Amino acid sequence: MAGEAWLGWTLIAGMALVSFFTRAIFILPGSHLRLPPIAERVLRYAPAAAIMAIIVPDLALAQGAWSISIENPRLIGGLVAFALAAATRSILATIVGGMLALTLVRLS
Amino acid sequence: MQREQISALRDGALVAASLLVGIVPWGIVTGVAMVSAGLTPVEAVAMGVLVFAGSSQLAVLPLLIAKAPLWVMYATALVVNLRYVIYGAVLAPYFEHLSRPWRALLSYITVDGVFALFVGRFRPDDGDPHKHWFFLGGSLAMWGAWQLSSWVGIFGGALIPKEWMLEFAATLGLIALLIPLLFDRAVTWGAIAAGGVALIAAKLPLNLGLLAAIAAGIAVGLAVARFGAPRAGRG
Repeated sequence: MAGEAWLGWTLIAGMALVSFFTRAIFILPGSHLRLPPIAERVLRYAPAAAIMAIIVPDLALAQGAWSISIENPRLIGGLVAFALAAATRSILATIVGGMLALTLVRLS
Repeated sequence: MQREQISALRDGALVAASLLVGIVPWGIVTGVAMVSAGLTPVEAVAMGVLVFAGSSQLAVLPLLIAKAPLWVMYATALVVNLRYVIYGAVLAPYFEHLSRPWRALLSYITVDGVFALFVGRFRPDDGDPHKHWFFLGGSLAMWGAWQLSSWVGIFGGALIPKEWMLEFAATLGLIALLIPLLFDRAVTWGAIAAGGVALIAAKLPLNLGLLAAIAAGIAVGLAVARFGAPRAGRG
């Protein structure tokens, strides 16, 4: 993707800044700043919400339209992965099982 | 370096060795997913070194494939990384006597597992003058393992045929990451609401859907925590 080289590098540079400053915002000033309680409560719910909001469309949409059917390989692969993640808590089992289910539906 | 500093550095690395088993599969999956999403191997290696945050790296990849705007990817990386703000607030008193370059280095290299080990073992006022060397030793071990395992995925993943859809490993990795985050009812209902809104709002431009979903997830999480006190006989 040579024509889109700027996109990759702009993404990496911006994420590098985000990643550094979320970690450094309290450590680098070196003083006793405190997090307001409302911020602490928002921070508790935001990451899981964001991750779920990325997963669900990736599983249930195909070319921008809903695709809720047992013939959708990503949906089946994802549901199998959810079950395996909940049952085993194993990264390896989740990913291998999800990829296997995806491949079985894709080839059938 | 003095002998005590070297020994604290080594202790940190040895204690963190127990975490390495967990980080290696993540590194490989993230490496594979980065090149499958269209990053060149050089970009993928640079992302591992400069960003060094596995969950936000994994989270932006499905968005990169879906051609989401840059600012949406930045916002997503920010939200997924918010836990580091909390870690930073806890770590700040431990490191406030150090020089600015030290504080910058320790900020850059903070990861979940070493944070948990470190605050479990030390207190800001425990009088141990070398504890930042322990933190650095553990973090360097994690950093090295993350980079090496990413490279295995990056250069190994490039050899795997496109029709295997290995970029889906990023989404599967997010699923494995999400489950342990769902530690109580409020967080779980917040995440379910976010998933539902993301699906319903899919017809909107992508950026609006994702942000609306996150906002709904936070609102539902707060509401369940506030009003949804568990009652007898209810889950």
